[in-house]
Amino acid sequence: MKIKKLTGKPEKTGKTEKKGRKRASRRDARGRKISSVFLTPSVLGVLVFFVLPFFVVIFYSVVDNPISHQFVFFDNFKMVFHNAAFRQAASNTMKFSLIAVPLSVVLSLGLAMLLDSKMPFKSQFRTFFLTPMMVPIASIVLIWQVLFHYNGMVNDITALFGAGKIDWLKSDHAQVVIIVLFLWKNLGYNMILFMAALSSIPKDILEVAVLESAKQWQIFVYIKIRYLSSTLLFVTIMSLINSFKVFREIYLLTDDYPYPTVYMMQHFMNNTFSNLDYQRLSAAAIMMSIVMVVIIGILFLAENHFGRDVEG
Amino acid sequence: MKKWFVTGIASIFIFALAGCGEKGQEAPEAAKSEGEISEDYVYVAEYEDLKEDGYVTSNVTIGNDGQVFFSVSKEGGEMKLISRKPDGGKEEIPLELDENTYIGTIGKDMEGNLLLGLITYSGSPNEADIVPENVMVRRMAADGTVLEDTVLGKTLSNNPEFYMQTLIEDKEGYCYICTGQKVFVLKPGGELYFEVDAGGYIGNMFSIKGEKTVVANYGDMGWQMREVDLAGKTLKPLDAPIAFDYGTYQSGGEYADILYTLGTKLYAYNLGENEPAEILNWVDSDIDSGNLREFTILEDGRVAAVSVDWSSEEAKSELAVLTKKNRSEVSEKIVLTYGTTYIPYFVKTDVVAFNKQSDKYRIEIKEYGEGDKDYETMVNLWTADMSSGNGPDIIDMYYCPVGLQELVSMGVVEDLNPYLDGDAEINREDYVDSAMKAYELDGKLYAIMRCFGLSAVVGKTADVGERTSWTLDDVFALMESKGKDVELFEYTTKYNALQMMLQANGDMFVDENGTCNFQSGEFIKILEFANQFPKEVQYDPNAPSDIEKIRDGKLLLLKEEVTSVQQYQLYEAKFGEPINIIGYPTSGKSGIMLTPNGTTAAMNVNSKNKEGVWEFFQFLMTEERQENLQSANAGFPILRSALEKQFEKDMKVEYYEDTDGTQKEKPKGVWTSGVSGEVTVDVYAATQEQVDMIKQMIETAGNAEIDSKMLEIIMEEAQSYFDGQKSAEDVAALIQNRMQIYISEKR
Repeated sequence: MKIKKLTGKPEKTGKTEKKGRKRASRRDARGRKISSVFLTPSVLGVLVFFVLPFFVVIFYSVVDNPISHQFVFFDNFKMVFHNAAFRQAASNTMKFSLIAVPLSVVLSLGLAMLLDSKMPFKSQFRTFFLTPMMVPIASIVLIWQVLFHYNGMVNDITALFGAGKIDWLKSDHAQVVIIVLFLWKNLGYNMILFMAALSSIPKDILEVAVLESAKQWQIFVYIKIRYLSSTLLFVTIMSLINSFKVFREIYLLTDDYPYPTVYMMQHFMNNTFSNLDYQRLSAAAIMMSIVMVVIIGILFLAENHFGRDVEG
Repeated sequence: MKKWFVTGIASIFIFALAGCGEKGQEAPEAAKSEGEISEDYVYVAEYEDLKEDGYVTSNVTIGNDGQVFFSVSKEGGEMKLISRKPDGGKEEIPLELDENTYIGTIGKDMEGNLLLGLITYSGSPNEADIVPENVMVRRMAADGTVLEDTVLGKTLSNNPEFYMQTLIEDKEGYCYICTGQKVFVLKPGGELYFEVDAGGYIGNMFSIKGEKTVVANYGDMGWQMREVDLAGKTLKPLDAPIAFDYGTYQSGGEYADILYTLGTKLYAYNLGENEPAEILNWVDSDIDSGNLREFTILEDGRVAAVSVDWSSEEAKSELAVLTKKNRSEVSEKIVLTYGTTYIPYFVKTDVVAFNKQSDKYRIEIKEYGEGDKDYETMVNLWTADMSSGNGPDIIDMYYCPVGLQELVSMGVVEDLNPYLDGDAEINREDYVDSAMKAYELDGKLYAIMRCFGLSAVVGKTADVGERTSWTLDDVFALMESKGKDVELFEYTTKYNALQMMLQANGDMFVDENGTCNFQSGEFIKILEFANQFPKEVQYDPNAPSDIEKIRDGKLLLLKEEVTSVQQYQLYEAKFGEPINIIGYPTSGKSGIMLTPNGTTAAMNVNSKNKEGVWEFFQFLMTEERQENLQSANAGFPILRSALEKQFEKDMKVEYYEDTDGTQKEKPKGVWTSGVSGEVTVDVYAATQEQVDMIKQMIETAGNAEIDSKMLEIIMEEAQSYFDGQKSAEDVAALIQNRMQIYISEKR
């Protein structure tokens, strides 16, 4: 939408108008110069810290090593793709994201709707779910270690019922523990986002739907979901990003070479970096970023499809 | 107007900023702060051999004017006192000594006269069981005129091992004699005032301008500097705001309070100052600081240093006078850098020797750990240099912070095979195969070692048998045949045992396709073996020594690093009966591990002077260098012919004539073992059997087969088995899972 500037002054004609236009264009050019001067540091920063490293990573991914710089084309990609550890990491990360992200979105939406209804102790519950966001990672890890260590509280409790000890973090149960940790940490934030989105749905539309005898599920599917679609997309993308970031917690809990089921992409990246294997690291990073771009692209398409009729 | 104002302001800023670079008056040239040796000048050394034919230099002192006094002795005990004048001429100082009297040490008094510490023994050095009978301090003018003889009799020399290390006189005429662990203080007339025990071997005793006498030694809290307190008749801490570290400390004469060498650098320090002044780097002047006996700054600012090099057959004494010159005046050589996190003595020696003989190249050592950097900072610096392509030309592999595999992944190390194959003077077959393969990966050779040792186990033949290798079942059988109170190894924890077994057997559990096999019976057996050792061991100073335990049958084996055939005789003496040196228990291999024991280095692929780097490697591999290793226990040379010569030398019987004219076998050296030297063995010519055993060990030796990360994972998981929380099988399964990820990731 174009906005027309209203100056309140009488319009100029003939020579005066030409002169005025010239002066205005000179002023615009000067303004552009000044703004470009102010923009230069930021542009330089972006170039040096984002664009340049991006090209460096691409360069490293097609050379044999950072020292001799011999062009090897896609050899690093092939090597990484055929690497059993990379495959394991990719499969674990995908599995984790496929389980944790939908769970995180669905559960936080459910909680938001629950808190949106007329229930007692709403604000206490809200605070309760937001608390994990305020706890530093190191403390979270400590709590989880106390709970899920071989000699931890969970095993002590299960022992009361006669169950044997389980090494939660070094067994096939490890991914379950990590999913629980991920949900515990992220539900509150997602829930707040959904609550804000729910409160912005026009009340008149909901009232009309009720007057038209629409059922609750119909209101949810045909109205609320439509209006929540952009938030849903945002929450999904954020959860997806956070699901990749769960490496921090896993690393602190289980070190750089954990039990295979919790060996994530970021482990592979981190370890190849520690081993100074920059070429394989770069190839893996590029492959991972391509996958991320595809997933986020799909999410955008979905959002466009479901939310197009509620956007202006 | 506005423009002029802006220009004016800008000018003021520019001048102000330009002023920021000025540091004020420059520090005196030879006294810059630590780490600030100027790149513009260099100390150029002129060397002079102090050798007297047929004699060995024993004591030395340098006067402020550069006159050097040194005593030399012959095998039979004959001694001479020599003066080397500042202009270069040498002359013998007339010296009259009683029979069986020898110069123990040479010092100086405040007037510049010589102080000779003389010891008279009960017999000639060739006789057995001679003891010191009289001690005397002789004050002597530089021309040999005896000014005073102070006879001390047997006051100081009750101990048959008595010797004099340092002799000092202070301004008030008190005389200080250091005898290893004790300091004796004599009143001006020669009467014993008091004696004080330093509580440990005294590294250095020196005077600060004749006012304080300082002793430096290791104490409970590390290296300590204490002054002799005449009033309290004791040693009190030296009042200085800086901490001193292990080094060679001497009087700074007129130039400074203390002159000292730490690592490869010479520093001057005045009490009260907050930091020492760095004078020079000995390596830059081709001097091995490890060989320094005496150094001083002369009145004209030159530095004089006397060093004794024991690396060749005969000890070589050398005077170096270092003159400061502009770099531009000195003929330029191509500079190669040797990068290391820590400078071992053998690297210093090899670099200095290479620099001295090369007309084209000189190596400078870059120490990444210099200046007490923590390990992480040091490794980060090292990694940043390597990955940015600014790494040193020569990469030290002895103290390399990353493994060979990582270096190869980085592409930072050059394959040496083409150099080796293209070298007309070096033939690969002439070198010990296992030593040449130690740094081989995928058929490429990445590093060369100068000499090596063998990591093995020593036991009585009665226990171990005469076999050349054994399995864990054999060890279990041996343990079962002994009582429960018998130790297999001394002071060995579960973790030590596990590590030792994994180093010998690590390659058994990962095949060439990268498939791990840690759930095998062999690995579980290793866990069970390690579990038999205690979880923690504490050194008990009151417990019987290893030698006592061995002889009482309470200790079966010793883990040893064999670096010489001569060690065999030491072990025989320790065990008191025939012994067998055998590898660590394995399945089908010898279990003996070959470890580098001298300069071990790789070539940086980015080096602009690869020819120079190869020249250094060639130098390390030359016959001359291989045949002259640093000392008896420096390791085995990698050149087969040098190794054979070493064995021949070890087997050659040498004789001396006793006082009654009979020919007796001369010992090749003395080896000691135990905290207080409980076993001291005169080592004689080795037998053919002993040499054959060492030869066989060399031929069958392998390399340590496990990297630090694998060890870390195994140790971490094994803990729950050692704590009794999980079974060996469960732990093996966990290790298998984690290790498979690690191995797969690296492939």
